[in-house]
Amino acid sequence: MATITVIDPVTRLEGHLKIKVAVDTVNGVQQVVDAWATGTLFRGFESILINRHPADAQHITQRICGVCPVSHGLAAVMALDQAYGITAPANARIMRNLVLGANMVDSHILHFYHLALPDFINGPDMPPWQPSWQVDKGRFSAGQTSTLVSHYVSALDMRRKAQEMGAIFGGRLPHPPTYIPGGFTTRPTSAMISQFKTYLSEITAFIENTYIPDALLLASLYDDYKGVGGGYGNLLAYGVFDLDAAGTNKLLRRGRTINASPDVQPVDVNAISEQVKYSWYNDRTDNLNPAVGVTTPQYPKNSRSLMRLMKANPQNLSLFGAYSWMKAPRYEGLPYETGALARMWVNGDYKAGVSVMDRHLARAYETLKVAEALLAWVNQINVNGSVAVSGRVPETASAIGLTEAPRGALGHWLQITDGKISRYQIITPTCWNASPRDAAGIRGPIEQALIGTPVQDVNQPIEVVRVIHSFDPCLSCAVHVMRPGEGKKIFTLHHSHGVEESHDHEHGHDHVH
Amino acid sequence: MHISRRDFLKYCGLTAAAVGLSSTELLRLEEALANPTGPTVLWLQGTSCTGCSMSLLNYVSPTAPTSVADLLINNINLAYHPNLMSLAGQSAAEQARQAYNNGGYILAVEGGIPTAFGGNTCWAWTYNDVEVTFQQAVKDLATRAAGVISIGTCASYGGIPAAKPNPTRIRSVKNITRKNTINIAGCPPHPDWIVYVVAQLLIGNPIPLDRYGRPMAIYGQTVHSACPRRDTDSCLWNKGCRGPGAYANCPVNLWNNGVNWCVNANAPCYACTESTFPGTISLYTPMYNPHGGKDRNCDRCHEDERDEDGGGGGGTGPHSAAFIQANQGNCNSCH
Repeated sequence: MATITVIDPVTRLEGHLKIKVAVDTVNGVQQVVDAWATGTLFRGFESILINRHPADAQHITQRICGVCPVSHGLAAVMALDQAYGITAPANARIMRNLVLGANMVDSHILHFYHLALPDFINGPDMPPWQPSWQVDKGRFSAGQTSTLVSHYVSALDMRRKAQEMGAIFGGRLPHPPTYIPGGFTTRPTSAMISQFKTYLSEITAFIENTYIPDALLLASLYDDYKGVGGGYGNLLAYGVFDLDAAGTNKLLRRGRTINASPDVQPVDVNAISEQVKYSWYNDRTDNLNPAVGVTTPQYPKNSRSLMRLMKANPQNLSLFGAYSWMKAPRYEGLPYETGALARMWVNGDYKAGVSVMDRHLARAYETLKVAEALLAWVNQINVNGSVAVSGRVPETASAIGLTEAPRGALGHWLQITDGKISRYQIITPTCWNASPRDAAGIRGPIEQALIGTPVQDVNQPIEVVRVIHSFDPCLSCAVHVMRPGEGKKIFTLHHSHGVEESHDHEHGHDHVH
Repeated sequence: MHISRRDFLKYCGLTAAAVGLSSTELLRLEEALANPTGPTVLWLQGTSCTGCSMSLLNYVSPTAPTSVADLLINNINLAYHPNLMSLAGQSAAEQARQAYNNGGYILAVEGGIPTAFGGNTCWAWTYNDVEVTFQQAVKDLATRAAGVISIGTCASYGGIPAAKPNPTRIRSVKNITRKNTINIAGCPPHPDWIVYVVAQLLIGNPIPLDRYGRPMAIYGQTVHSACPRRDTDSCLWNKGCRGPGAYANCPVNLWNNGVNWCVNANAPCYACTESTFPGTISLYTPMYNPHGGKDRNCDRCHEDERDEDGGGGGGTGPHSAAFIQANQGNCNSCH
């Protein structure tokens, strides 16, 4: 009989994630036999963007995530550039990349040391590091542990410095205000370039001499995790860090692969759809491409008869209804994983395998690759060059901004009508990764990656969180932006009376005290 | 961190008045601060983007606490923080429950509190197989907290996720808990602002607050009042700068360890520390036109100088209609 274990909250990620796993003994090994990933926060950004001035989009969407705000700012201005019909000058393209690159470096360092590493070592003997689960933490020696703890502390400094480096051009981090349609606000100076390079030199040395060796050490001591958490091996990257105005050449190219094949296929955004059967959205909005996407929340969604059946048969793992605020993005009907491993694979830089450790290693190598590129780019800035072109807000337009957040492929789908935003759909990397099942019952990437994960102690399922953390989940991003659908009906739960309909209030408050 | 009870009691009276604490609340704060292992802090996240926590992690200072590591190791007992803590699931929630049972902790909330769908658009945790809404968790935890701090504009006032039409019916921490929260507004707030409040609470210093619950020491002046671009050609008023209505010390404190700040990067201030942020008007719509016209809002700050400067139409001062007409096209006479 399977044991159901719930982890809510999954900590050391961004946002709100709940994981439920069924654990059973198969061939003598206690392991995960089924999994359900639930996004437990939902805010409704799309609704907020409707009727706003398009040029506010990059500021509003950055607040989807404070760990990867820059990628949202960039995706927004890329869509705006397309909508306005303008091209940012080279200086702006470079500065946009510099700030995004700095954020990516800070985010990857944060992920390895502060989010993932505590799964494997014991930190200082006080909160927040203790108490902690004491399963399979004996592989590092006392000396190695002590060194890693000191690296954890230096890494706090390094990620802070990476954000300072980004702020040189970005204005401030998090939430840099410098991304605008047509370019960038900062006028670069030699002093800025010089200061950036000073920071970059120290950070690059840290990546080379500390981060990568630590990641390799982890991978060697936890070598068995090269066979854990693989999942489907379907990898998707939109590509990032445009090297030319058209975006044809990128530092990390666009592409995808199926089943960990070394062969890379092209990406056609028209093949993307979002399914909602197991998500808390109205089924009428199922299977839509984001360009025509609609988000109609429906909570709760499961019928009372299903809920009764589930309660009566807790051991029947195939009995479940909607269980997540995340939609299920699919490409040609298939689930895809996205992130540093996907980017590095598609770009030809890393094809060793798909697993927990492969994700950590690919991320570490990518951090160095980006840091080295930052040096090349900052030297390309022309301090006398223009940083922005002006453009007029079109009456009507449709546009897409595709880029990469540290965690993977990020897309903004923008529609302008009467000079205002009339639709704004976002598919974030963690929506791909932490997706629930689709209508065909196919699990999302993290759910699939969990299958077969050995679990020593169901009360301290450290192995489960190790798999989840390898994806570097960012849940604020993942949960879909929401737009009240036509008719504006919202289903509310009254505990004594079950589900009933109520009508949406037409106007919310601008602010609350 | 151990503070002597005598030192603490010396500040008690002032502290209570300044932070609007009731005598019961004050007693609890006293207990928290007397804990030799440092006061317990529970940091919860609601409709947040985690930007406030990321900003806190950018903290650095030449004086103690010198870093976040220093703060966590030597000053506070961070018993619950979703991004940093080792435990997960119910065992993590247990840490909050234990603190609740003991009472006297500081409750820091990042992000607003959604109430739509019965509060089910944000869960704090699943405890004993029951999903606990963030709304319920914050309400409960606030009852036995020694003090409640709203970290960031979302927790303080709702912020961007609460912008029209406030899809998930977000309410502020103060609104949900009915407690007088210390509002460290900002989107995100500067790390110095967060550590300032924590440090003042630890020491037992008074924290005078403005009518929006923000510490006066940080939010007592407008960005405009200290802006180096005042009265210069590089003023960003026509890009929508809200500096004259934004209370924060950004031009003085700068951002990211003194590296830069928004206006210095030619980005207009959009008043992210204000209860009205982001508002419905475009962030680039000019709001404060120094040369009069229908965008004029000088009266907001220059009431006393109205007659002299021409606010309201009269007077002969440099921003009056008469002066501008007399000096038509000759902006260089001042700029």
